[in-house]
Amino acid sequence: MTTRAETATAPEPDQTVEKKIQQLRELYADAPELGRVALENGLSDLKRELAAATRTESAGRVGARQGRVSEFTLIFPFANGGAERLHGLLQLLEGNFQLADQVGTVHDMRFVFLDNDTKLLFATAYDGEWDPYIDDFATKIPNALDLLLCNCEGFPGIRSPQVKDWLAGHQIAAESWYVGSPNLTVAETRRLERIGHAVDEFLDKVGD
Amino acid sequence: MQLVDRLGGELPRGPVTVELDDIQATVLRYRPEPYYGTHVLLHVEDAQAGREFVRRLTPYVDSAADWWQAGDAWTAMAVSHTGLVALGVPEDSLQSFPEAFRVGMAARADQLRDYGPNDPTTWEAPFGTGEIHIAVSVFSDSEAKWRRAMETARQQYQGFSGVTVLLMQDFGAQPGDLNPLGYRDSIGQPAIEGCGVDSLPGQGRPIKAGEFILGYPGEAGVPLPMPRPDVLGRNGTFVGLRKYQSRVGTFNRFLREHAGTEQERALLAAKLVGRWRSGAPLTLAPTHDDPALGADPSRNNDFTYADDPHGRQVPLGSHMRRMNPRDTTMAQLADVNVHRIIRRSTTYGAPYDPNATSAQDDDVPRGIYFLFLSAKAMATMEFLQQEWINNGNFMNLGDERDPNVGLQEDGATFTIPREPVRRRIHGIQTFNVLRGGEYFFMPSLAALRWIGDLHPASGQH
Repeated sequence: MTTRAETATAPEPDQTVEKKIQQLRELYADAPELGRVALENGLSDLKRELAAATRTESAGRVGARQGRVSEFTLIFPFANGGAERLHGLLQLLEGNFQLADQVGTVHDMRFVFLDNDTKLLFATAYDGEWDPYIDDFATKIPNALDLLLCNCEGFPGIRSPQVKDWLAGHQIAAESWYVGSPNLTVAETRRLERIGHAVDEFLDKVGD
Repeated sequence: MQLVDRLGGELPRGPVTVELDDIQATVLRYRPEPYYGTHVLLHVEDAQAGREFVRRLTPYVDSAADWWQAGDAWTAMAVSHTGLVALGVPEDSLQSFPEAFRVGMAARADQLRDYGPNDPTTWEAPFGTGEIHIAVSVFSDSEAKWRRAMETARQQYQGFSGVTVLLMQDFGAQPGDLNPLGYRDSIGQPAIEGCGVDSLPGQGRPIKAGEFILGYPGEAGVPLPMPRPDVLGRNGTFVGLRKYQSRVGTFNRFLREHAGTEQERALLAAKLVGRWRSGAPLTLAPTHDDPALGADPSRNNDFTYADDPHGRQVPLGSHMRRMNPRDTTMAQLADVNVHRIIRRSTTYGAPYDPNATSAQDDDVPRGIYFLFLSAKAMATMEFLQQEWINNGNFMNLGDERDPNVGLQEDGATFTIPREPVRRRIHGIQTFNVLRGGEYFFMPSLAALRWIGDLHPASGQH
């Protein structure tokens, strides 16, 4: 997807890279010796990475995107009893999130309990931008989302017009974001899987 | 012709639970057939004069009462955010409008994916300047009634210092009501609950009125956020205007390059849109055009995609299927009913010319003033532009874009599913280029009276 913010990945002139190296040396001047040595020994690899312009873009309101894939990281304080309920719910689900399958844009989700079960860290990789589809979630899968999110303090309900602001208010933009296959959406991955199976089946028959 | 007559006098009536006599006619009246009309874009230099103009024109603005059998010309009035400011609407009211409306369409170019040739910096004046304050539109099914309604509107602003006309654009009156690329358009409209007419054939279940008119519950069961005070917001809606220039030379060259005979070109043109030029849908007329079907509103929208899951009749990436996927199984969870818009598309300029193939033909003034209405028109248009127009992921089409209004990049493709193997056309071009756009609020008649009566000194009612 082209956006105005996208820039070509043309290598930068050596001069700029040298400046970045200089900046890093200054930043690492008070680092442990281990770090300073690593900087000098790893310079040749680092130079290649620094020479490539950024591939990260904004994923709408908050968050970063590489290619088609965005990150969505949130920290919520638990509501009273929320940690226990969510813990129980997640245990019983045993990692089966068929609704996420149905949503079709979710690469992964992780639920991490922080600070003695007082806060929830929710982190996911997903395709595109999250807020265009909130209206769809509110009419198609409201119960599943209310069941999960009612355990977070102040959740106004997925049908509430305030829900986008509430989510964005708990979102923390990742400091950095890397995607191994930035052009592959979940839909595209599933399509390629199907094609791969079909090609194998075809080749098996031809090869017999 | 009235909707009821177009349907042969047979209209499935439903209950009326919205205030039709307070809602503007454009929200519910279908575009007449044939259609004539004018859009007038005005600038308010002086708040008092602007309010006086609103007061004078409001009695001539039509309501949606009996919209299904209304046959007269009608006049509509809508106000942009800068227009509300210019008319002296109080600050707390202004702040209660959605952000995308307040900053205007040009400032939302990123969210609308209006880049390259569609970038607001390339738009025609006065679009994107903030100078457009009020839009007045007249729609009619006859030339005589159109001229009369225009004359009435003109009398309200002519010789009126403080209100100036920035732009006047006549539209319609094309042979056969065809759009600039030669198609009958604006066929499928959403059915809306509580408006007096039940679903027409193929419309699906009526959608909650709150999706289209402010002050009523929407599909999620709650009303959408509404501008304050209630008298200003209730029974109003938002209108987006996008002016497209149709690149007819490029379009015809594309058809000639990828189809050898006239019949093949007609089929390719139908595959792009999902309908033949006559309006006949490919689901009901897969191999040959059927003009009688295309012209029959009781049949030309009466289908689902149940028997065409792979798009061998209507390609998954065609304009019609993207904009209303109906029962298509999509790769992403989506509720079709929360992304529908009311369309009042209006064609302007020279009619479609099948023999126009030159670069100069692209510049002949001809195109569409595309009007779309919804209680969340800004959010819906951003969704459509991002997800269903300039993206193909939801239909498993990777980066492919809408062949009609999408912004095509170099080497863009269009896939036509076929047995045994699909055909993928390379090098599809941008056929409709955005030349301007604006968001408006279309107030209820009561809200127009409220605006007209705002007190000049305090800016309060």
